[in-house]
Amino acid sequence: MVDPARSVQPPPPPPLTDEEYAKFCEFFYRKTGIQFQDNKKYYVERRLVERMTKTGSSCFRDYFTMVRFQVSGEELQSLVNTMTVNETYFFREDYQFVALVEGMLPELVRGRSPRQPLRLWSVPCSSGEEPYSIALSILERWDQADHWDIEIHASDIDSRILAEAQAGVFGARSLSRVPRQYLEKYFVSLGDGSYRICDDLRQSIDFSLVNIVDPVQAKRFRDVDVIFCRNLLIYFDDVGRRETVETLYEILVPGGYVCLGHSESMSRMTSLFVPRKFGDTIVYQKPQEKAP
Amino acid sequence: MALVKANPPGIPAVGDGKPTPDGPASGLPPLIETGPSVEDLLAALDAEESTTRRSAARALATHPEAAMALCDRVEIERSPSVRVVLFTTLIRLQSPEIAARLAGLLRSEDVALRNGAIEALQEMPAAVAPSLRALLADPDSDVRLFAVNILGALCHESAPEWLVEVIASEPHVNVCAAAVDALAEVGRPEAVPALQALRARFPDEPFMTFAIDTAVRRIEGR
Repeated sequence: MVDPARSVQPPPPPPLTDEEYAKFCEFFYRKTGIQFQDNKKYYVERRLVERMTKTGSSCFRDYFTMVRFQVSGEELQSLVNTMTVNETYFFREDYQFVALVEGMLPELVRGRSPRQPLRLWSVPCSSGEEPYSIALSILERWDQADHWDIEIHASDIDSRILAEAQAGVFGARSLSRVPRQYLEKYFVSLGDGSYRICDDLRQSIDFSLVNIVDPVQAKRFRDVDVIFCRNLLIYFDDVGRRETVETLYEILVPGGYVCLGHSESMSRMTSLFVPRKFGDTIVYQKPQEKAP
Repeated sequence: MALVKANPPGIPAVGDGKPTPDGPASGLPPLIETGPSVEDLLAALDAEESTTRRSAARALATHPEAAMALCDRVEIERSPSVRVVLFTTLIRLQSPEIAARLAGLLRSEDVALRNGAIEALQEMPAAVAPSLRALLADPDSDVRLFAVNILGALCHESAPEWLVEVIASEPHVNVCAAAVDALAEVGRPEAVPALQALRARFPDEPFMTFAIDTAVRRIEGR
């Protein structure tokens, strides 16, 4: 027998007014740097309603108050997790990994002491395909790999996707561009079409939860040689983009590189970096500044 | 293996404080820090190290009261990277007063400084609007030209209208040509009669005829 009291679902929260939508977007922008235009209202609203339902909030006002004032920040993190896009795959825009091992790394180690490690940072790293692609490219395509200590750091604002990255389990779509010999050498088949990346590789990458627009969090990174920051800045407004690339500038060593997504151009954001062409791709180098 | 998992100075590992499915990872420092005072930051704008000056310029983005000091600094700052950050902070703090100060830099002989000011002004449409009329009426045709460059990239609903006013009254051919170029990008059909009238004012300038034809074609979607 069905308990009538238990079968009654609370009514869904009412739709957001334009003012509430604008208020939310302004708050979310301040917290994350991510900007939603009016044409994203459906996308945002659907996810907000999902979170409101999960938290038992009866209206936007109640939910918004909780997100803003919750001491643990847990609901804000859940909201970030649900609002961010994490679609990626191994060796996406592969020419940049080729440029890394054939152009950037050889240049970076020229005249460098072997005691000084190479430090690379993938941000946002999403479900891990990018940092693992970096690792595989270095191990398989750079003949000097064994001569250097190479640190790979990987960060994302989304804690759920970061946990997936650390778990290192990938499906067929994600692995479609991984050569067969890499699969055999670095992955373990789980028998259902998915593969887990080997423990050595998983454990060699330092994953961290980072909101790059938060100066306190970003400040923890220093002396990075190469930053992969692809398809993140497209979500920011102009001034947010400028500030974020200035953060990347501070984090890099002089002579270090930033790799952006193929639709992003540093020269439209700032004059801080020098464009460098390696093979089929343009990356951006922090110059050695002359004046103090 | 060449890959090493390291926790370099200043980068705490999250490995032990694993990110949880719905909660923030442990191991992060508290988000609230007691930062230096405004006075300390303003003093740091004069520091010897460019890193310190950049850091101060960035931190002042939450202090509107520092705006005029930042404007003073950008005028004398020699380091290109510090200048970039100063401009970004001024964009963040944007106000008509800041825009008026930056508008003064359009007269600078320092090309990088001038371009930085133009780019910054393009990013503050509401703040620069009150200064634009004066700039467009400036006795120096170079300043008027830069003002048109700002207008062409300005996200302001009146920009097309102001460009039409420029081509109706501006005596200098180069300023008019810049306005025609800008109208080709942002002009609306109301601009077409003014563009056609401009043709008669510079009949001996083949470039102008070409630019007007292009602008009209683009506006009419041909």
